[in-house]
Amino acid sequence: MARPTATAQRSVPGDAPVAGTVPAPLAPRPKISRLERRKSLTGWVFLLPASLLILWLSFWPMIQAAILSLQTGRGTRLSFAEPLWSNYTRLLEDETFKLTLQNTFLYLIIQVPLMLIMALVLANLLNNPNLRYKSLWRTAIFLPSAVGLVSYALVFRTMFANDGLVNDLLQGMGFIDSPVNWLGETGTARFVLVLGLLWRWTGYNMIFYLAALQTIDRSTIEAAKIDGASSAKAFWYVTVPQLKPMILLTAIMSTNGTLQLFDESYALTAGGPANTSMTISHYLYMVSFRNSPNFGYASAISYVILIIVAALAVVQLKVGDKRD
Amino acid sequence: MRTSARTIRVMAAVLPLGLALAACGGGGGDDTGSGEGGGGGDGDNTLTVWAWDPAFNIYALEEAEKVYQKENPDFTLEVQEVPWEDVQTRLTTLAQSQETGELPDIFLMQNNAFQKNVINYPDLFSDLSGSDVDFSEFPESVVAYSTVDDVNYGVPFDNGTAITALRTDVLEQAGYTVDDFTDITWDEFITLGEDVLAKTGQPLLSGQAGSSDMPVMMLQSAGASLFDEEGNPTIVDNDALLAAIDTYQRLVESGVYIEVNTWDEFINTLVNGTVAATVQGVWILGSIQSAEDQAGKWAVTNVPMLDGVEGATHYTANGGSSWAISSNADVELAQDFLAKTFAGSAELYDTILPTAGALANWIPASESDVYGEPQEFFGGDAVYSKVVGFAEQVPSNNTGAYYYEGRDAVSVAITNIMNGADPESALAEAQSTVEFAMGS
Repeated sequence: MARPTATAQRSVPGDAPVAGTVPAPLAPRPKISRLERRKSLTGWVFLLPASLLILWLSFWPMIQAAILSLQTGRGTRLSFAEPLWSNYTRLLEDETFKLTLQNTFLYLIIQVPLMLIMALVLANLLNNPNLRYKSLWRTAIFLPSAVGLVSYALVFRTMFANDGLVNDLLQGMGFIDSPVNWLGETGTARFVLVLGLLWRWTGYNMIFYLAALQTIDRSTIEAAKIDGASSAKAFWYVTVPQLKPMILLTAIMSTNGTLQLFDESYALTAGGPANTSMTISHYLYMVSFRNSPNFGYASAISYVILIIVAALAVVQLKVGDKRD
Repeated sequence: MRTSARTIRVMAAVLPLGLALAACGGGGGDDTGSGEGGGGGDGDNTLTVWAWDPAFNIYALEEAEKVYQKENPDFTLEVQEVPWEDVQTRLTTLAQSQETGELPDIFLMQNNAFQKNVINYPDLFSDLSGSDVDFSEFPESVVAYSTVDDVNYGVPFDNGTAITALRTDVLEQAGYTVDDFTDITWDEFITLGEDVLAKTGQPLLSGQAGSSDMPVMMLQSAGASLFDEEGNPTIVDNDALLAAIDTYQRLVESGVYIEVNTWDEFINTLVNGTVAATVQGVWILGSIQSAEDQAGKWAVTNVPMLDGVEGATHYTANGGSSWAISSNADVELAQDFLAKTFAGSAELYDTILPTAGALANWIPASESDVYGEPQEFFGGDAVYSKVVGFAEQVPSNNTGAYYYEGRDAVSVAITNIMNGADPESALAEAQSTVEFAMGS
């Protein structure tokens, strides 16, 4: 805990600047140990308020939700279920839950890889030192992430209405004869939702890659080029491996975000047609606030989301992080 | 030096935490102190109310305040604009966390959600049994929405009686008048609609794809519901529902009814003249009248009835809302306010009808001259007294705690039937979805 602090403080300017170097001890051990203990204590004291707040505001509700997920009943008159896990076994028979789970995974499998690849390619293009108006392009691509989720969903809904902009454009250009019922058919409704997600989030992930690209030494890429590698090969074999920690981070964040997807399902497609574009979080909201409220069952659904997110994060860490 | 370093450490730890806690605590204290939870029997002659539409129900409240102030000059009403979906979320959250002290004195509630909330969270409400409200002065079908186990929990506000509104200029082109569309059946309506479509190119009706509004209106017109009086789903083996869905399907397939995806698109089909009619709750007249270029070209009549269904009528309803008194209220004042305004003031309804189009459920109001005045927009017809006449004949609809589940499941079934599924098995699936939700 305290070691990096101590190192940073004691490294003399002009000394070897390689991170992680342990400096030679300057004094007998017991003295350092006491100093380090004091520094360590300082660190913990600074951590304490935030940790307590997180415990109280984040972990305590999670424990309460776990208890709630074992309860059943009407409104506030809840009692422990018989058997305790009945809310979880109930999930297995819930056709709507299965459908929304399936929808969410469909979005995850199609949208996350597509978005991350696009973000990676865009980041690489925009990192080109010879590109003109670089900040203009970067801003233009990042800007959608600054738009409110509900407002962009509503704009998309208007654009893809039967008499909306997209149908008018396609008809005007002669691609289609009659308007496409974008939001009225399962396939196209899901497509519009994924398109919206790509538009909204690609720029956001691109910024992470751009930041990571700044830390890559250009000489590594130049060396590969001198050795005869094409741009594509240099990108794939030199740049991408160096971005691996960032790719892992964005993959976990995007997976987490997609599994908890709510706004787009709620505001853009309203879950329709016939619930075939509804996400799990949207269903969770319906069970809690629109339908006759069933908070025990809703908590069980939220725990299933938690378990899936955790499991996928573990898999991604195992697969993606080969650092030793 | 040492002590000061330690002091700094301790302060670093305690200050942010203290500030954070103070912020939370302070917030809570403020809330109970100020407007948010202004309820409670503190006898200060003020009532807080949650309602959602400044041009409609909030405007009506402000006029009600003026009426009540005439005999109670110190009285004030504190209206908070809260969208309906937020009202529902707030009520659920407050009930679930048992913070009923944050409730206002009165809140407006959608009729469709009334029973769900009373049955799940009885501790949110104060019943109206001791009040001066005479419920026999309201249509029975409207009072039924806010009645649970024979106890009244709501004073009906806006009227959801269904009407058929028609463009007389379009009908004229096809050689018809409003009389041809009055007291007819849906089969006759489809035949007439096909003829109008062939002659003018305009479909008659429009609505949101996958919405259960239209079939459920048809269902209620035959005195049938998605639930029985005990609250058990009656979605399977429901002849009226099968007939309603079949009629709906034939309307869409004949081209007489066009489906759109959003509510805004639906309103646009009316104001842009894409369609020549609508069958909807009477509140739709507000949207129709926003197209001023169509003044004088609309007429209102009763709705078509289902063919071959026992108990079929020309009257039904969609939507509407009622006032509820919370458990945190100054109950006596709130009851007196509602009894003397929304359940007892013809003057109030005379004011809000012409300006906001807020049609009364309170039957004595319809006897006033304002209701009988001819409306230029509707070709000089006295539409409002006509609609109040319809309202008294609307059959009751059983809602219960699972009404939203029922409607949603039927919506899914309709979408699937339109895509070729067998109606009986699609409805059996809908019934099992509702039964699943009920079996928690």
